[in-house]
Amino acid sequence: MLLLDYQNVLIESLLRDRFVPGASPVSIDQVVSDFDGVTFHISTPETKSKILVSIHVKCFSELVQYGAQAVLEREYGPYIVAPESGYDFSVQIDLEDLPEDQEARDDLMRRVSLLKRNAMAAPFEQAFDEFHQLQEEASKYTSESAPQGVKEGGEVRAIHYREEEAIYIKASHDRVTVIFSTVFREETDRIFGKVFLQEFVDARRRAIQNAPQVLFLNEPPLELQGIPGINTSGSGEIGYITFVLFPRHLTNQRRAEVISHIQTFRDYFHYHIKASKAYIHSRMRKRTADFLQGTFKFRFVDVCVLTEIQSYVVPDLKQRRRSARQLVEGHSRFNRDFRNSTCVSQCI
Amino acid sequence: MANQTPAVVMDNGTGYSKLGFAGNDSPSFVFPTAISTKSPAGGAGGSGSGRPAVANKPSFLTGGAGPGSHLHGKRGTEDLDFFIGDEALSASAGPGYGIQYPIRHGQIDNWDLMERFWSNSIFKYLRVEPEDHYFLLTEPPLNPPENRENTAEIMFESFNCAGLYIAVQAVLALAASWTSSKVHDRSLTGTVIDSGAGVTHVIPVAEGYVIGSSIKSVPIAGRDITNFVQSLLRDRGEPDSSLATAERIKEEYCYVSPDIVKEFARFDREADDRFRKHTVNYPNGKSVQVDVGYERFLAPEIFFNPEIYSSDFLTPLPNIVDTVIQTSPIDVRRGLYKNIVLSGGSTLYKDFGRRLQRDIRHLVDARIQASEARSGGAKSGGLDVQVISHKRQRHGPWFGGSLLGQTPEFRSYCHTKAEYDEIGPSIVRRFALLGGPGST
Repeated sequence: MLLLDYQNVLIESLLRDRFVPGASPVSIDQVVSDFDGVTFHISTPETKSKILVSIHVKCFSELVQYGAQAVLEREYGPYIVAPESGYDFSVQIDLEDLPEDQEARDDLMRRVSLLKRNAMAAPFEQAFDEFHQLQEEASKYTSESAPQGVKEGGEVRAIHYREEEAIYIKASHDRVTVIFSTVFREETDRIFGKVFLQEFVDARRRAIQNAPQVLFLNEPPLELQGIPGINTSGSGEIGYITFVLFPRHLTNQRRAEVISHIQTFRDYFHYHIKASKAYIHSRMRKRTADFLQGTFKFRFVDVCVLTEIQSYVVPDLKQRRRSARQLVEGHSRFNRDFRNSTCVSQCI
Repeated sequence: MANQTPAVVMDNGTGYSKLGFAGNDSPSFVFPTAISTKSPAGGAGGSGSGRPAVANKPSFLTGGAGPGSHLHGKRGTEDLDFFIGDEALSASAGPGYGIQYPIRHGQIDNWDLMERFWSNSIFKYLRVEPEDHYFLLTEPPLNPPENRENTAEIMFESFNCAGLYIAVQAVLALAASWTSSKVHDRSLTGTVIDSGAGVTHVIPVAEGYVIGSSIKSVPIAGRDITNFVQSLLRDRGEPDSSLATAERIKEEYCYVSPDIVKEFARFDREADDRFRKHTVNYPNGKSVQVDVGYERFLAPEIFFNPEIYSSDFLTPLPNIVDTVIQTSPIDVRRGLYKNIVLSGGSTLYKDFGRRLQRDIRHLVDARIQASEARSGGAKSGGLDVQVISHKRQRHGPWFGGSLLGQTPEFRSYCHTKAEYDEIGPSIVRRFALLGGPGST
């Protein structure tokens, strides 16, 4: 798995099971988490055939400010119900009132499982729209004569989607800049992250010319100057990752895909740091095993240690004896006298 | 709850992994503990003997890397090219992928694979950032502390999870029984009968601690019952006697009878009422009818009369339970008899608990009478035997974990990342007893 999924697998599989024609409805009541502190509540409060999916997003008020309501209404129109208490947004699906053909059903299933993605997509969509506006505006002027507003670009949209981390989006007439601030609690993670991001930065230079430009800084980039709530201590714990999206990424055909991709960036990034650590661990295990194999070959005393360790792992006495005997037989090639030593006979 | 993320509860068993969030009454995901990687199947036992080679070294020393895995040759993202769970099964059916099972006999056998299995469980299925969540994992009874340390290393160092608690499955199964109306005091003393697909364990637990020396296992479990049903179907020459059909029949029609002789008579008397027909539908649209007869009560009967199925294991389950309790320390035996808790899919047969309770009570009463007779006039106060079946039996350990993981004090029982960094892996050798005396 290189990329993370955008949809919630649980919602998808739950709905898929129930959308099959002839499937009998079953009651559900599950509270599940998603990335970035998002909580879903999937339940059947009234009857078994009415599935209520509610979402709680930490930064929902900010998202609403950037037009989340409109995006959600566009995506879920007739399914929206009043939000359940404690949650920000709810959709209800009546299994007895599903679209007839299979394609529409699949589409509904996909939409609902993308609830988090769609909620978070609003500020991006708004910024992309603003970019198109500014682009049009800017085409009327030459680069010198453009008025201040057009040159500078729009305001910065900040989404504080996690406790200490945020996404900042800024549209201007020739680009959209997306900045992630991310915190590394661990020294190791910071190093992995740096190496990883360097690859991102270099990707454009090397092979992939179409990629967005990526910058990585330890202090807030220029775009964020003057924004309240920015930590300028420069302690190195917070990193700022800047993506510069060019007009080719912002076309209407690409738009949905780009938003999905960039949204999952933070989790993707942390997932890969963790996967790299797992990979390095497996190499470390292999190396340790090789070393141990080497040492065990020659030192008799290890037979006793090993049998003792083995008694933890191999509860079956017969197998334990057999493996001990095998080991000792191997050793006796080096020294025939070992067989007589009392220690060995105790082991066996 | 608004600010606190729910704890992640993961119960990785030999056969199936149960994943979900604390506070729910059923796991979000249940799938086989299988991983398919892009390599020729199974590093171990490649000699073609059909049996894995006897390891001359405990698995945690070889790290399960196995011979001939050329890690140094892998420079790309091959390590991410794998599937877990049901996807693994379907991927291994095609070319290029080999399937492996990282857990054997309840214990983690291959740490490399397990680490990747967890990584995918967390990021693909549960979709959580482990830094934000506490984790509750399970382990089998008598799990060596080294295994626990390895688990902690992976959880804290690879995943940076916020906090970790590792609980013994049997203890969680006891906690799960608190939902039953028969349980009045929330004690962690009792005998757990855990019967899954491969093996049945009888585990005595006193005040939350497993009495390791008295654990007994019975080599009869779900898979044997399925095989038995299948052999009965084959003997009769039914039109479909595949393993899948046998399993469906086992799950849908089987129950435990109070007395087989009477049950046979009843089947002959009320044939219409007792015999059933099972319809098997094939993907190509055809269907056949399979008669379901005596196997309805004979199949689960192999727990109580193993001689009808196996020729080498002959001790009935009630006797095993009795022996287990009799070999436990004398001061906890009363509690163990009073609270016999069922867990696992193979204990779900109707009236399984009732039959077990009756049979154990007969054994106990017989023993009391004998000793009364020997003592010449002394009267015993009697012994209370109670078998508890409840609604959450199937995923008992997971549900117990979910129950305990949602309590407000759960986090204070966990070891946190900071504590781990301070002390090291040895910190997980001991955990305070969750749900024990002192907590709610």
